[in-house]
Formats: sequence, structure tokens, C-alpha cells
Amino acid sequence: MNDLINDLYQEIILDHGREPRNFGECEPHNKSADGHNPLCGDNLKLTFLLNDQNIIEDIKFTGEGCAISLASASLMTEKLKGKKIEVAEEIFKDFTNLVSGSDEDLKVLNEEDSLYALKGVGGFPMRVKCATMAWHAFNQALKD
Amino acid sequence: MDHSKTLNLNVRKDFPILSKKILEKKDLIYFDTAASAQKPNTVIDETNDFYKNHYSNVSRGVHTLSVESTFRYEDARKKVQKFLNARSENEIIFTKSATEGINLVAQTFYDKFMQKGDEVILSLIEHHSNLIPWFFLRDKYGVVLKFANIQPSGEIDIDHFNSLFTNKTKIVSLTHLSNVFGTELNEKAISICKDKNVPILLDGCQSAAHLKIDVQKLSCDFFVFSGHKTYGPAGIGVLYGTENLLSEMPPYQGGGGMIGDVSLEGASYAELPAKYEAGTPPLVEAHGLGIAIDYMNKIGLDNIIEHENEITKYAFNKLNEIDFIEIHGGDNKRNSIISFNIKNIHSHEVSSFLDVEGIAIRAGHHCCQPLMKHLGVNSTARLSFGVYNSLEEVDKFVIALHKCKEFFNK
Repeated sequence: MNDLINDLYQEIILDHGREPRNFGECEPHNKSADGHNPLCGDNLKLTFLLNDQNIIEDIKFTGEGCAISLASASLMTEKLKGKKIEVAEEIFKDFTNLVSGSDEDLKVLNEEDSLYALKGVGGFPMRVKCATMAWHAFNQALKD
Repeated sequence: MDHSKTLNLNVRKDFPILSKKILEKKDLIYFDTAASAQKPNTVIDETNDFYKNHYSNVSRGVHTLSVESTFRYEDARKKVQKFLNARSENEIIFTKSATEGINLVAQTFYDKFMQKGDEVILSLIEHHSNLIPWFFLRDKYGVVLKFANIQPSGEIDIDHFNSLFTNKTKIVSLTHLSNVFGTELNEKAISICKDKNVPILLDGCQSAAHLKIDVQKLSCDFFVFSGHKTYGPAGIGVLYGTENLLSEMPPYQGGGGMIGDVSLEGASYAELPAKYEAGTPPLVEAHGLGIAIDYMNKIGLDNIIEHENEITKYAFNKLNEIDFIEIHGGDNKRNSIISFNIKNIHSHEVSSFLDVEGIAIRAGHHCCQPLMKHLGVNSTARLSFGVYNSLEEVDKFVIALHKCKEFFNK
């Protein structure tokens, strides 16, 4: 099988694509945003609860999309739960660089990280938007 | 499988891009002609030659290059006129795209013939480009839009369509060939419009290179298509309109080239077709479209259609045999387009998987989100064929589909 395909669809991606974790709506929540990829119609709704210490206490999503977008959203919620918002923002920047094939050094993510499994998306430029949809929703929710 | 007895146009060599290797080793199988067709050498070479040897602005100067450019631009119009069998060159307006053609009609037809509360009939299978220009009329002027339902076969429900007409219906706009199902518009829809004396626009983006078009026989009032889906360049589109309507409707954009006489107090407008061609037109692209029409004529549109029908039928039967494939739009005849899903696998995955096998297909909503919602799917995968495809390519595609299914179900 082709290496590019195997890099794109690592076992962990297929697993999270089939059975997304933290799928649902966070109750209660105080932050939310919709993610939408107008080119393909994939969409998601992200909700999370930010406590008074600026820690993401709980985070969930619903939506429909391809394996990459679902797995990315699922892995994101796993990664961000319990993180301080400043750290989450650093992860967002790293992740964006990781999947867009940017040369910029990663600050908080490393190869041991589950999010690293999405690096293969860099080999499919048209799929980068699938992987970043949930993250852009997260970023949007922080701004609102 | 031995396909030696089947019609083979043997034109692959005419398209230089088809010798490109995908990921350095896979032969390219291009099944995305409905999104945009590849270009034959003649179109590429002739557009180059235009820039190298003949280029200037059109219809403005009197020098040699201006004459040469103008000749090529107007010659392209003649070719389009013949291609569509329009009555006169005055009925052929060059636009930048089919989309612009629909926007032009929506706006100027409204300006002349409509007011608040008047109605437009569309359908559920329309491309966004045949929805949004009409949405603008609804939002800006209070025009009422009505949408014909579709049957499971992918065809417009004619009885429902017929029931939508009232004495406020001013225009109908429908796709001539569905870019999702590949189904042709039932001619009854046009005859109903004729009976009720309501003008009809046909969106011919998918039909222009895949059906024989005769606007007089079709008896449509407007017909739009794009150059890039008919083996010509992007950036050029065609609007056909009857001389009566085009004469009565006002200009769309104002600018150079569309005027009769201008003073600071006002202006008169040019005759057709210049009236609708403000600004420097996509003149080289128009020439390229003319060359693309020459190319199709040389092979013979009948041959192209027979060839594509054979491939489409073959692919449909192959896909229909596979239990994990769901084909959209029933068993009726298709023209060069088949939409499908692999059960439980998103079309993105299918398209990325096939990509590394060298096979280009479209995945997504095909700019038909209302239709996707109706079908209850988020997206579909779409095969679409052109003059350069072959039955052997379909065989390779089917093998790749099985590999894809196996990969994602491991």
C-alpha cells in the first residue's frame, strides 16, 4: 500500500474517525463555535466549559465529516481537556504548523503526541482544511 | 477484460497533461471532466500563438494587430453560434463564465420584466450558480422563488413542476444536465414553459460538450455554458439569448465597448452583442473556446457522445454489481456523470485513496448543498467522463475501489 495513504490514515486516525471520543454537547458550557468547510459541506459544533482558572474543564463536539475531520476533532478534545487556555493556544499554533507542513519549530508538541498522527495530512494539501476545521472552531470560540 | 471491439477515439495523445505521472509513477486517469475538462494541444498552442503573434485589444483600434485580434474574437462567436445552432451571432454573448451569464440574466431580466412578488421557478437539483443569482433577487427585491421537487430517479417531478406556475411566474431556470446525477432535463419541462409563455433558461454547463445542443430545437430562451468544461480555457463563458429578449433587457455592466454615444448627460448603448460586453473581453479565451469547438467537431460530436455513453453505461453496470456501492439517482440513463458513495466511507477518503492510485474524481457536495440535504448525504463521490477516457480506465478504477474498501475496513 502506498506510503502517503498509510501516513495519512494511521491506525489512530481510523480509530478516532470511526469512534470519535467526546462526541456530544458539553453541559453546562460557556464557550461554543461552529466549524464549517464550505467547500465540502463538513461541519461541527464545538462546546466547552472554561472555569475561573482559565482551564478547559470539559470539551465536546458533534458534527459530520470525513475520517480526518472527525479524528482531528476527537484528538483535539482529548488533548485540550484539562489544559490552561494559554497552553491550548500554543498547541493550536503548533498543530496548524504541523499539518500545513510549515518549517517552523514546534514548541509544545512532539512526536510522542497523538496529534502528531495528523502530520500525514501535509502530503494532501487539499485535506489540510479537514484537519484544522475543529481547531479553527476552537480558536473562534476563544475570540467570541 | 478485452475492450478491443469497443469504440476507441484514440485521442489521449492530444492531451499533453494525460501523460503526466501522478506521484511520479501512476498513469493519470482523469474522471473529473464535469469539474473541468482537460485541454487538447490545439487549444494550448493556438492560445499561445494568439499572444505571440496576434494580440491586441478588440474592436477598438484600426491597426493590424487590432484587426487580427478582432477577427479571431468574432470568428469564435461564429463558431459558438453554429455549435448552438443559434439564429444569429447577435444572440451569442461572451461572458467570463456560465455563472456570469446566469447573473446577467437574473439581474437584467428582473430590471425589465419583474417586480416585487413576481415568481421564479427553479429546482432542487440546481447548482449553486443557478440558485444564488436568484436568491439575490429574492433578498433585494422580494421576488418569490419556487423549487420543483425531484423524483428518486434524479429527474424533476414534472407534475410538481407544473403545479408551481401562477400568473406571477415570470421566468424558469433549470439545469439541462444534472452535474450530480448526469440526468438530462425532461423535455416536457420546456414544453410546459412554452405552453404557459414563460421564458426558460437552461444551465448547459454539463450538457454543452456531452449532448448535441440545438437551441432552436430545444426552444429555450436562454442557454449558458462555460469554456473550461468544453475543452476550452477557463475565464470564458457563453450566454445565448433570443434576440427579442436580449434587445429588450437593459445592459448588465457599464463600460467601454458597450456604448453607442456618450456625453456627460448620458449614453446610448451599443447594438447586440456588444451591449452586454462591457470592458475588454476575455478575447484569447474566446478564441481558445472556438478552437475547442473545432476540436470537438473534428472528432464529431456524435462519436464523442456514443463513446461517453458506452463508458458511462459500462461504469454504471460495474458499480451496480458491487454491493458496497450506493449509486445516486436510480437506473435511468446518465450522460457522462455518475455519483456514488461507498457505504460508511466518506467521499473524501475515497478521493484521497484514489488520488494516490493516479485516479482523479470529485468528492464533496458538488455545489449542490440543497440536493445533498435532500439525498440525506453530506457529500458524494462523482465520476465524470470525457472524450479521452476508456473502458480500461474504468476497470482500473473498479479494482482501486475494492482496494479502498478493504483499506478502510481493515
